[in-house]
Amino acid sequence: MVAEGALAAGCHFFAGYPITPASEIYEVMVRELPGRGGLALSAPDEISSLCYCVGASLRGLKAMTATSGPGWALMIETVQYALMSETPVVIALVQRLGPSTGGATQGAQGDIFLAEFCTSGGYTVPVFAPSNAAECYELTRQAFNWSERLRTPVVLLSDKEVGMTTEIIDEAALAKAANVERTWGDAGAPVAAYDIERVEDVPCFGPAGGEVKVTVTGSAHDRQGRLRKPSPEVVELLAHLQRKIEAHAADMAMVRSDLDPEASCLLVSYGITARAARQAVGMLRKEGFPISFLQIQTLFPVPTEALHRAAAGIRTVFVAEENLTGQYRAVLAPLLNGRRLLGINKIGSMISPTEIVRAIRRAGGTIPRCDWPGEHPSEAEVREPPRPWKAGV
Amino acid sequence: MENTTYLAADAKLPYCRGCGHALVVRQLSRALEGLALPSRSLVLTTDIGCVGLADSLFPYVHTVHTTHGRSTAMAIGMALANAVLPASGLKPIVMIGDGGAMIGLLHLVHAAQLNVDITVLVHNNFLFGMTGGQHSAFTPLDWSTSTTPEGNRVPPLDLLALLRAAHAGFLARQFATDGDLNAVIADAIAYPGFSLVEILEICTGYGGLKNKSKGAALREVADSQGYSIGRTEAERPRPTFAQLYRIDIESKAAPLLIKEGSGVVDLRVDDAAHHPLPPPPAEEGSQPQGREESRPASLQHAASANSRLEIRDSKPLHIVIAGTAGERVQSSAALLCRAALSAGLYATQKNDNPVTQGSGFSLSEICLSPQPIQYTGMESADAVIAVSQDGWNELKANGTLAALASGTLLIIDSEIEIDSPTGRLLRQPFRRDATPKRAALAAIGFWLGNEPVVPNAAWDSVLDSLSIERRADVSEALRIGANFARQGDARAA
Repeated sequence: MVAEGALAAGCHFFAGYPITPASEIYEVMVRELPGRGGLALSAPDEISSLCYCVGASLRGLKAMTATSGPGWALMIETVQYALMSETPVVIALVQRLGPSTGGATQGAQGDIFLAEFCTSGGYTVPVFAPSNAAECYELTRQAFNWSERLRTPVVLLSDKEVGMTTEIIDEAALAKAANVERTWGDAGAPVAAYDIERVEDVPCFGPAGGEVKVTVTGSAHDRQGRLRKPSPEVVELLAHLQRKIEAHAADMAMVRSDLDPEASCLLVSYGITARAARQAVGMLRKEGFPISFLQIQTLFPVPTEALHRAAAGIRTVFVAEENLTGQYRAVLAPLLNGRRLLGINKIGSMISPTEIVRAIRRAGGTIPRCDWPGEHPSEAEVREPPRPWKAGV
Repeated sequence: MENTTYLAADAKLPYCRGCGHALVVRQLSRALEGLALPSRSLVLTTDIGCVGLADSLFPYVHTVHTTHGRSTAMAIGMALANAVLPASGLKPIVMIGDGGAMIGLLHLVHAAQLNVDITVLVHNNFLFGMTGGQHSAFTPLDWSTSTTPEGNRVPPLDLLALLRAAHAGFLARQFATDGDLNAVIADAIAYPGFSLVEILEICTGYGGLKNKSKGAALREVADSQGYSIGRTEAERPRPTFAQLYRIDIESKAAPLLIKEGSGVVDLRVDDAAHHPLPPPPAEEGSQPQGREESRPASLQHAASANSRLEIRDSKPLHIVIAGTAGERVQSSAALLCRAALSAGLYATQKNDNPVTQGSGFSLSEICLSPQPIQYTGMESADAVIAVSQDGWNELKANGTLAALASGTLLIIDSEIEIDSPTGRLLRQPFRRDATPKRAALAAIGFWLGNEPVVPNAAWDSVLDSLSIERRADVSEALRIGANFARQGDARAA
């Protein structure tokens, strides 16, 4: 469905390198793109895959590649180039169990940090996380739209369980966002580079090979795209790369919230674990346990407004995710000041709804408590944040 | 009138006095003047290093300044786009040094293999000049550099020999001081496919100080490394990848349909099949007259058949089918999911197999539910089907059997050796009677005969979508399974 979303979004170029669990996207694109006037081909490694995509995007084609953690590690150099050179490109990152080669056929949500914090300078890379086949389609289209609109790389972060589970979906019910194209420059302009009026503006795009002279660079540059040592103009352009993302953060925010005004407990999740979490919420409510639920689709930029809305009146926030250290929980921690923040974490297999229910119950659920349950190695662990907290806060 | 200006007339070359880069830049400009190519049909793709400063010298040509070694790869992407863009004809000229050639060696090899229409100018000054004269993969033996103070002990790379093995069509090695370098560069650019010119030159800042390399000495260096000077060109140029791709596209008819069992959700399923739910199909006299209109067909069927196994709204049904790789376990499971779809159910399917996909076990975990499925895992299976010893062994190994509730239905091929399973055990010779490749489908047919979760009519649309051959195959397998079930019922009666 990632491939279907990409095709619907107008993707015309795909370069791939086989890696479980992302190979199916590659195979579908190779099968489908030629018949739709696009080009899909095999690259000799992941570095090449993304470079080919960036090259094609510089010509004006919407481009995508798909990989998993080990391949993503190789792509990070070129992700930064795309970010700096303001070249739209979408990377479907289908997570598997890490680190290193890890477990090719086991799902995981362990690449949150690696996906987001991959740039020198710490720029915000938009990361969208689908939880099922329908969202794969919808969020892939969104990923293309935002990548084109903001001229920046966007990561579509799924995992093996989302990417390789075949499921029935209702095509008619799919959200079909209108395609957004990058803003092309005036054909009569003298040059196409990085000219902007306000720091958060997105410069107009000119294709390499077009009538307007194009100057592209991954080095610190001025508005003409000329390599320059830091001057106020160069520094402003560096800030612009971040400001253009921040200026659109609110529009980019995608969440699915299911809030209960009576709840003092909020469960936050994303990707594959959001499905178990949603089911767990149903189970808890059936037992008369008031609880709010927030599925975050736009992991980055963090949808702070939606988070604050969901956390209003909440005492305890649980973040369920399939990694050991609570990566997204760590991202949310500074935004949930004063609230008790607990993680529900596990690796090796999906966190089940029962495990989430049990973890919430054991942690005292909606009633904050001081006593702490012992660790239970066979199931999802409830983990405290590293900072101390007071009961009843 | 097309713009055919290249090197800016007033260009101030940012290179050290005597640096070969300055010569190359001028010779490139002369080559382009000779070819009179429109400047907008060219893109200079420059690498990291002093060579990367060339961009600003060519104010009318498109320029893309990349990361180290990746200039070739980005140029490949730009050239590949020619295959699908209506206004094709952008020619990338890649300018890299010996450092970029080595760190991006894979890209050069693939560019040669693909035969993409790019021209690479390798400015080989035998070391890393911009960073202080460190040794590179192209440093001649015994050369003294800042990182080989005792002399280089590693033989330099013969790039042309390597790229010849990668089927490069046009290769040349010249000195930056050669008067006819512009002609060689022009021929390389005009060559229809991958071309590369390795230009031997001197880094006056670091190369020439410690090593004999000026003037005639540079030729001695080349000779001592066994480098041939001059060009080699393929007798008959191969078609470029873009040309071949265009031919492939034109020979292609309509887009291919998504293949069965490919793991791709088929979007072309008739919506009416599940939203809204279709009326239940007429089953040979088994349907009761008064139906609950709001329930899916399959549920009515299941309820009407007084099945012991019922899909309740809150609890999805989990079935595990295990067998041997290559025996159509996963594709059979996919057919069951599609039949369930026709019956108005939601379904998910997860497959598993060993790392080598063509041997050992093959397994599918299916979840069927009248509601959209949230959690796709299972805590314990509601029915287990094993059609080979490999499959059974895997069910034991992965904990599926240990997690079963007592009374779970186990459908096991008669050939499988089993030890004390818990559950309701039903054994039939699926492999013997239906053949191993149809055993999974026969077992599914048998299961549905026992637990009619998916009505027979739901298979019609699935069968219709298959090729005639496959349809006969599937029907026969399901029939064999259903017969086993009927015989079982007859015995029970």
